Amino acid sequence: MLKYSLKRLSSSFLTLLIIISVVFVLLRQMPIEGYFDNFEKADEAMIQAKLNQLGLNDPIPVQLLNFFKDLLHGDLGTSARYSVGAPIAGIIAKKAPLSIKMGVLSMALSLVLGIPLGAAMAKGKGKFWDKFGTVYIVFINAVPAAVYYIFIQLYGTSFLGIPMLFDEANPVTWILPVFSMSLGNVAYYAMWLRRYMVDELNKDYVRLARAKGVSGKNIMMKHVLRNAFVPMIQYIPTSLLYTVCGSIYIESLYSIPGMGGLLVDVIGRQDNPMVQAIVMIYSCIGIVGLLLGDLLMGLIDPRISFVKKEGAR
Amino acid sequence: MEERETVLSVRDLNIKFSLRGRTLHAIRDVSLDLYKGESLAIVGESGSGKSVFVKSFMGLLDANGWVDSGEILYGGEDLTKYSTEKQWLKVRGKEIAMVLQDPMTSLNPLKTIGAQIMEAVELHQNLRGEAARREMLSVLTDVGISEPERRAKQYPHEFSGGMRQRVVIAIAVACRPKILICDEPTTALDVTIQAQILSLIRSLKSKYDLTTVYITHDLGVVANVADRIAVMYAGDIVEIGLCEEVFYQPKHPYTWALLSSLPQLGVKGEPLYSIHGTPPNLFGEVKGDAFAPRNPRALKIDFVKRPPYFEVSPTHKARTWLLDPRAPKIEPPEAVRKLATEGVKGYA
Repeated sequence: MLKYSLKRLSSSFLTLLIIISVVFVLLRQMPIEGYFDNFEKADEAMIQAKLNQLGLNDPIPVQLLNFFKDLLHGDLGTSARYSVGAPIAGIIAKKAPLSIKMGVLSMALSLVLGIPLGAAMAKGKGKFWDKFGTVYIVFINAVPAAVYYIFIQLYGTSFLGIPMLFDEANPVTWILPVFSMSLGNVAYYAMWLRRYMVDELNKDYVRLARAKGVSGKNIMMKHVLRNAFVPMIQYIPTSLLYTVCGSIYIESLYSIPGMGGLLVDVIGRQDNPMVQAIVMIYSCIGIVGLLLGDLLMGLIDPRISFVKKEGAR
Repeated sequence: MEERETVLSVRDLNIKFSLRGRTLHAIRDVSLDLYKGESLAIVGESGSGKSVFVKSFMGLLDANGWVDSGEILYGGEDLTKYSTEKQWLKVRGKEIAMVLQDPMTSLNPLKTIGAQIMEAVELHQNLRGEAARREMLSVLTDVGISEPERRAKQYPHEFSGGMRQRVVIAIAVACRPKILICDEPTTALDVTIQAQILSLIRSLKSKYDLTTVYITHDLGVVANVADRIAVMYAGDIVEIGLCEEVFYQPKHPYTWALLSSLPQLGVKGEPLYSIHGTPPNLFGEVKGDAFAPRNPRALKIDFVKRPPYFEVSPTHKARTWLLDPRAPKIEPPEAVRKLATEGVKGYA
């Protein structure tokens, strides 16, 4: 297990290095306006001076090396336009905790709703919950999220009397955004859990469990649900992390000062250093999610062997 | 034959399935007595209904199947009257246990084999904790798994096919059933392992005082283990008798055909015997003797009227018009006569 984990970790690390390099090189192709807050007014000499100061006239490999050096100190550079001169790490550190809180809450909610829904769908295949769940899943996948987000905000605020705008100190205002954010994941978990459970239900070991006198309820809980969960486990870290990144649309809908809208914002403002930093953070999150998923799978499924590749399975 | 105690008695059982709006008559008026301590083999080709038949003893028919009429009497109760899971749970495992065909898939891949055997022990022997664990280890030893302490902590994928079948058998035995049903217990196994598994089941049968029912299409298995043989065709038992009776004095043309298909009876250089045609479609009503269309020597009446059972001996009966006193004398095929006089190496 340890050996496998280390191997997996080092390959993830390598992937990360490659991604960072690619993002870095690509962003060098962006117009240099993105490094200035006053490009229009600056003359050629000022521009060159600034570029030199930022090290942007160095050959790209040198720039990349310097960038990695800074990265080791946790320095993501400074914002050029979004918040002039402010360290990017600081900006993100201020915004991230709220998104994380919100993401974790919505994730918890979607697990709490999605897992029982999926299980109920698999148990009564073709019956009420299955049909209900199918309608729900199709709805969520077919209707653009923006549409039901707006309706939730509209009716949630008018019928339930919940304030329209988010206020961190007022717990009631957390309800609608967290709920909206979880809807997609509920559909996702229910759909996959149902599918995996139906797969498991048709397996021979379920027949043997029935034949040895295990009750239907226990077969569901002790055998089927548990086994169906294994393939789901690997998606959970990824989806958790992406939820944590914040929902761009929901955060803007409720004026939540999280980091969800940040990437769109800085791309709009052409703030090159910030685009670079945020894209990198997102890729890290993706890679860490995949890594965690694989490691979790390995912990839970005894069939995944970490030691040797040979041997029949 | 002395009077024997009947443990399970099936009376005129009819089982039907509904498939895409049509009704399939899978078991047609089958009656059978299972005697205490005996070893019965039910043979027949795929789709003859042998699995469905025994599954109905445990209420394990698929959701689209049902017992249409008839009785399954066990311990003074008619199992066909059972409707709730609670009632069936008194029978499953506790009274009748089952070994399934494919050991590669019949164990839960994510539980240690110890845990899976423990589950049966806890359910049926009312043991908990350390006592249950000791019982589990002793069952593992009984099925011939060495180092049970270590093996119990392993997962199914760490076992070979034969070993897994031993574990499946251990689970069945751990339920302490009275009847053990082995549904093609060796079909998925290596030939070299088959004999080991059969002899294991046989030794467990005497150790735990079990009545065993084998379902198989392998006559070699039958000859090895069975006291009695029931030959099933198209959802009906066409011939039933002691092992020697069915092997050496078969009466039903289907049994003849089945025996003639034994590769060991073939003549070198000639193609092996095979039964022409396909089994009848059980969606419709079967008229007369179900085997008649495939039987080159079928009588006219075989196509019209279903034969009743004719008793050959107190233990041997067959559903064929050939046994009617008015029927013409038709000799069994060459191969079957040869079997009766010479026997086959390795059989009976």
